[in-house]
Amino acid sequence: MQSKSSKDSAESPTDITEYYKHLSLFWTDIIHLMSSKPQALTSIGPMRAFAANSKKIAVELIEINENLLGFNQCITEYYKQLSDTWGISQKKVNQKVPEIPHDVEQIESVKRIWIDIFDNDFTELFDSKKFGANYGNLVSKELELTKHWNNIANVILQSVNLPSKEEVDEVYKEIHSLKKRVSKLELELKKEKRKNAK
Amino acid sequence: MQSNSNFDPKIIEEILKFSKNVIEAPKFVSAPDEISLEVTPHKVVQQIDKTRLLYYKSINKTKHKTPLLISYALINRYHILDIHPEKSWVRNLLEQGFEVYMLDWGTPTSMDKYLDFDDYVNGYLESSVEYIKNQSSTEQISLQGYCTGATIATAYAALHPENVKNYIATAPVIDGWKDTTVISNLAKHMDADKMVETIGNMPPEFMYYCFSVLKPFEQGFEKYVKFFKNIDDKKYVDNFLRVEKWLGDTPPIPGELFKQWIKDIYQKNLLIQNKMYVGDELIDLRKINMPIFTQVAVGDHLVSPECSMPLHYAVGSEDKTLKIYPTGHVGMIASSFSQKKILPEMGQWLAQRS
Repeated sequence: MQSKSSKDSAESPTDITEYYKHLSLFWTDIIHLMSSKPQALTSIGPMRAFAANSKKIAVELIEINENLLGFNQCITEYYKQLSDTWGISQKKVNQKVPEIPHDVEQIESVKRIWIDIFDNDFTELFDSKKFGANYGNLVSKELELTKHWNNIANVILQSVNLPSKEEVDEVYKEIHSLKKRVSKLELELKKEKRKNAK
Repeated sequence: MQSNSNFDPKIIEEILKFSKNVIEAPKFVSAPDEISLEVTPHKVVQQIDKTRLLYYKSINKTKHKTPLLISYALINRYHILDIHPEKSWVRNLLEQGFEVYMLDWGTPTSMDKYLDFDDYVNGYLESSVEYIKNQSSTEQISLQGYCTGATIATAYAALHPENVKNYIATAPVIDGWKDTTVISNLAKHMDADKMVETIGNMPPEFMYYCFSVLKPFEQGFEKYVKFFKNIDDKKYVDNFLRVEKWLGDTPPIPGELFKQWIKDIYQKNLLIQNKMYVGDELIDLRKINMPIFTQVAVGDHLVSPECSMPLHYAVGSEDKTLKIYPTGHVGMIASSFSQKKILPEMGQWLAQRS
């Protein structure tokens, strides 16, 4: 693979990411191949396992960057929506309260106006499709970042011979299924006993 | 805004008084952690996995024959139904002569991520009903569901109508598309599959976020200003801290249950269309044929009346009552209003059928 930077100066962030991903994988693989033979003679411990899997970490870290880009876009939009609404609400308050309050009663009524206007406007925002859609995307991007983080943690867990999240989940699933079957049988048995006792 | 030189010195006085209240608050007020939310004595009569069946004995000499089982919501804990001696939903029912059982769903851990609707409806709820039937030597029980607990109870009543003598649905989540709340807007845009696949259970932090977008300035600012202003009012402070502690204690929701909840109720709206499955069984609301009492609140900003009321029209019952109250989601179950108006009406309805 050749670097495209000389040919095309207006590359997309995805192209750049792909290039660095390739670069990183190339050197990780080469170094791993070059060093694996002497290592193999001496090591079966966690560092050996970690070295063998370190390529996965490099891939995850590079892909995190891609997701960070999307995440940043969503979070910027999120704060923009909040600050725009704040600005609009504050303008409305300023129009409704032209003078600075100068006694306790006035402060109370200004506070009431402020809270009502802000609550109404922000509820309208949170109720809107544009907020819901962006918030959904924001959470989704955050989950993608978490997924990469989980994958990195899995590499570390495997290097010390501990089960990965997927392996633990499989066990949980099996336990859940067994418990469900036992509970249903127990319940049926209780019902039968009750029927027979009558 | 324009400035005005007629400045009232009382403002300074108010600020100083408020500051003094803030500084001295810890001297007079318990920390939320020091407050126990267990109000009415009860026994844990059955425990399956993390769920517990609580039993509250009637404190009235006249007892109604049919016991009542309350299916509490999946959000926050059951304590709100027994939050304060003077505002306790449970205590009021005991005083009216009912034997009350309540399901505490417990606190699911990562291990419980595969628990689904079927486990809650045909597992935990069904086991509780069987236990109560055995203990009280009755063939049927009265069932009440609150909020998301009412959705579980509704599914149960549709699948096992032979076990339910009377059904009370309090702010049930039924018609997701008609729900006009902020929560439903967020739920409709959520990738529930990705959330469950990545983090397992729905984390409490997500629920706290949902709470924080509900009237953020009234609830996030004014509420606390009022608290410090009224720091001398023991009754107000006690009630405030109890509700705050309850609000801050929400367990995770098991992943599979959460996924089905979001997709089937808020996104595809299957329940009201009689197309939702629990395990292998189809929920047909027309099979709910027992007397039903639906309670909704006009000011409910968590489950809007439009979301709850369709249940009244969808069931097959001939004996059905719909009551709309001028209060909110929590006000309906833990307020002076609920003690004076909602509970006496519900108790009367239930007594006539128990």
